[in-house]
Amino acid sequence: MYEVSDVTVNYGAAAAVSRVRLRIEPGELVVVVGPNGAGKSTLINAMAGLQAVASGRLLVEGNDITREAPHRFCERGIAIVPEGRRLFANLSVRENLELGSYRAGARSARAASLARVCALFPVLAERMDAPAGALSGGQQQMVAIARALMARPRFLLLDEPSLGLSPMITGDMFRAIREINTEGVAVLLVEQNVAAALGLARRAYVLEEGRIVAEGDPQQLLSQPQIRKAYLGIGA
Amino acid sequence: MKIALAAIAAALIGLPYLGLPAFYESFGYLLLSAIVLATSWNLLSGYSGYFSFGHGAFFGVGVYTTAALAGKHGWNFLWTLPLAALAATALGVALGAIVFRVRALRGELFALLTLAITFVLATIALNAVDGGPGIMVNVDMPRLAPTASGVLYLLMLAAAALTLWTAYAIYHSRFGTGLFAIHDDEDVAEVMGVPTYRFKLAAFAISCALAGLAGGVHAVFVSYVTVAETFSIALAVNVVLMAALGGTRHWLGPAVGAVAITVLLYAFTGGDAAVAGRALTGLILIVVIVAMPQGILGQILKRFRTKTPSRAVVRAEDAPRQAVTATTGPLLVARGITKAFKGVQALAGANLEVRRGEILGLVGPNGSGKSTLINVVSGHYRADAGSIRFEGEELVGTPAHRIARAGIARTYQIPRPFPQLTVLQNIALPPMFGQVVMHRAAAEREAWRWLEFTNLSDKAHRYPGELNLHQRKFLELARALASRPKLLFLDEVLSGLTLSEMDGALRLIRAIRDQGATIVFVEHVMRAVMELTDRVAVLTYGRAIAEGAPAEVMRHPDVVSAYLGTAHV
Amino acid sequence: MPSATLLGQSVLSGVFIGALYGLLGLGLTLSWGMLRQVNLAHFALAFLGGYLTFQLSARLDPFVILALVAPVFFVLGMALHWFFLRFSVTLLNTLLVTFGITSIIEAGIQWYWTADFHRMENAYAAVRWKLGPLFVSLTDMVTLGFALALALGTWGVLRFTDLGKAIRATTEDAPIAAAFGVNEKLLGYLVSGLAAAVAAVAGLCLALNHTLAPVQIYAWMGVVFAAVMMGGLGRPIGPLVAGIVIGVSEAITMAVTNPTWAPLVSFSLLIAILLFRPARF
Repeated sequence: MYEVSDVTVNYGAAAAVSRVRLRIEPGELVVVVGPNGAGKSTLINAMAGLQAVASGRLLVEGNDITREAPHRFCERGIAIVPEGRRLFANLSVRENLELGSYRAGARSARAASLARVCALFPVLAERMDAPAGALSGGQQQMVAIARALMARPRFLLLDEPSLGLSPMITGDMFRAIREINTEGVAVLLVEQNVAAALGLARRAYVLEEGRIVAEGDPQQLLSQPQIRKAYLGIGA
Repeated sequence: MKIALAAIAAALIGLPYLGLPAFYESFGYLLLSAIVLATSWNLLSGYSGYFSFGHGAFFGVGVYTTAALAGKHGWNFLWTLPLAALAATALGVALGAIVFRVRALRGELFALLTLAITFVLATIALNAVDGGPGIMVNVDMPRLAPTASGVLYLLMLAAAALTLWTAYAIYHSRFGTGLFAIHDDEDVAEVMGVPTYRFKLAAFAISCALAGLAGGVHAVFVSYVTVAETFSIALAVNVVLMAALGGTRHWLGPAVGAVAITVLLYAFTGGDAAVAGRALTGLILIVVIVAMPQGILGQILKRFRTKTPSRAVVRAEDAPRQAVTATTGPLLVARGITKAFKGVQALAGANLEVRRGEILGLVGPNGSGKSTLINVVSGHYRADAGSIRFEGEELVGTPAHRIARAGIARTYQIPRPFPQLTVLQNIALPPMFGQVVMHRAAAEREAWRWLEFTNLSDKAHRYPGELNLHQRKFLELARALASRPKLLFLDEVLSGLTLSEMDGALRLIRAIRDQGATIVFVEHVMRAVMELTDRVAVLTYGRAIAEGAPAEVMRHPDVVSAYLGTAHV
Repeated sequence: MPSATLLGQSVLSGVFIGALYGLLGLGLTLSWGMLRQVNLAHFALAFLGGYLTFQLSARLDPFVILALVAPVFFVLGMALHWFFLRFSVTLLNTLLVTFGITSIIEAGIQWYWTADFHRMENAYAAVRWKLGPLFVSLTDMVTLGFALALALGTWGVLRFTDLGKAIRATTEDAPIAAAFGVNEKLLGYLVSGLAAAVAAVAGLCLALNHTLAPVQIYAWMGVVFAAVMMGGLGRPIGPLVAGIVIGVSEAITMAVTNPTWAPLVSFSLLIAILLFRPARF
């Protein structure tokens, strides 16, 4: 289980994320929604070790990893698909994937992992040697997800994967994410596309202005007026 | 103070008449020469941040001009001096005209390019002008002082006085502020109205002219001119060293460094001591760069800056009012704007219409192109296709600083203040370069009004780095307002603010509109958008899908699905 | 117009001097391209290596000296990287700081070995081969051999090994590379150390083929920078290819016209590249 316990992360002098508590059980698919500026990216970056935590604790299987160096987070079974993909643009698709399995625990299973991600995203097999930066947005997103899978994570963190993607590709991508989860990888998905995200998950959190304001069954949350208000500014 | 300065001036001018050994005049000459070179170098490189390693080249051009004309062809030495300066300037302008147009050429690349120029010029000088053995320069000296070295000393003293006066004048002028802004953030400076290309070229030209002048005098000083000695890298690097040591942000800094280094180098003369001197110089450079990044003078001045200087008195009737726009019709009409970056189509034929005096909300999911649209309208990026008419004038293809002059201002989503200018100087910049061009003093008075308006008065003499996020956002706002724009783009000005801070910001924005500005307001905080805006435009995937009254637009099914998405799984 | 033999010999000598440019440029391009540090002191370090080789050559074989000096230089390289990290030195300032270090090393060299020219006597210098009408010396081939081996070797490591890919990834996006387990600091030390060790190799080649004098340190700077920039930052084979192009064109210029026109070639090429293809950087 990955537990976020009373975590606060700062942006300048103010708190971007304030005393957040959430958890991901093994094999779960959890979604965090919230309007822009709510702190979703900050939260997920902190969970991946990309941003320092001001107070609170990050616990993986009971181990406190809050103060560990950034390059040690993946050893704990955490992999991230960052906002905007952030592929290594000048490296080939293959090299990006190989880097995904850089950590010692994943390196030995590299071939098997490669086969698995190519089965999941067949289009990658054709573009293995192309520089990652030359791919289209949707293809880049697949490479980013594949790269994270190469690390053989227990917890896959995805930060707004549908950003900038057309609706059709978004559909394919969410299907893939569901499949990954079915294979046993716990998933935390941060999304702006609320309806699709809530349809995927069993449990959801709503983040607003750095705080968790709601938690629970996605269908119930979707029908609540506060979500419509937060996103659209109008009473439902 | 003035008496002290007069006394020093008298002492300096009187030196050659005291009948001292020639050593003093020569050493004085070298000190003054170092001051001229370091200070002139700093005019471009220190002030604007374009580090040149080619100062030796322009110095060399001056040397060779005088050497060739006076030494080889027997011209009157004094007449060759302005020509030496002119030759160096011509070269600098020719180079700058090409180089400063290339956007990617910053920092270390410019340094290496100028280094390369030195070598090229040396080769040309060696082969075409000098022929190898060097040029003898024996001239008749004008009888300004008892000895030849005295005359040279006086000439260099004049050059030094001219150089220091120039550095001082530029430092305190609008030109200087523009250069410092270019140093901190050239793109933003351009968007705020600073004509960056022209300013860089002018600074470069002045810098070269002074170096050329010094070179001309130097030709006579050494009396035997060779390529190896003239175009050496040592000079190029020494001026950098002197300026860095003394402090590149201040007009007097390089002079301080020049004196320090020259004294150091000559304190060790001959044999082992010279070697030790060079090692010591190297060590000092390292220590200064690491421990005193602002140089000796910069470090000293920092101690004194904590005292807050005077404030301008603000009168009640000077309450800020926006420029009144005379004509009718929409203020801004954008049609078919397209912009792509490396395969990502950020804007795909976006349309937008902004009416006078309104607050228009520009909303849309992440990645829909809102910031890109602002960047294109303000001139930060150039549109691939489409037209933007502002008060009837076409903006696409216009340089950003002219767009600022036309009366458009914007804030940045992540604040981009000029880090090495104070809060006051930051806000005073747009009025200096905006629609109505003001002098520094007037611009600073204008800035004080906006400091009051945004409650930042007590931070006026601080640096942006000392402000928290909320204050930096207000600084962005004040800076955008200071040029009294007709059209103001606010890019996510509320993100990161606490609830109470946000209320204050909303009040401020309403007050700005009430004074006559038209505002386009990009925001994600929906509550603010609903409360504040007269109309709302929605962007998704780089084009506008709805435009109208807030409540209607946000209920529109296309908009709802754009925000909440459609269920896929 | 010179004879074919003279021209051929010139081209050959151009290749060899180009190889040395490539060797000197390798360390520079690695630290500039990968670590964003412009290390002017690289030249002084190479010369220091050359002088040490010269000094110890009476007792030891030059290659043995290299085996001793290279590891020491490796540590020096790491120390420099530590210094830059510790004081958060920006790119432009690394230029200035390393210039300071150059002054110190150069002064040290002059103090111990004086400003006189020194030429290392060694058995290898006498070995020459005949290639048709042209002469090739062993020491020249050593230089070329080292340059090729190190450039190709580095290229191979960067291209094919996990370590190399990790270095390239860190250069592009260090935080994300870290998220996948890449230790940026460790790699930084490795690259710096390697660059300095390559300087030791360059020093050996300098000592074998050229006369040493402290003032020479600056003479190589300009043209090697030109080779590095023409070759593209961070590309190990770049400086070698560019260096050979420069070397050969300089040599031909020298053979055909007045030798003093030679610098014009390399610097004009550099200027042209900087103006028309600055996006390479």
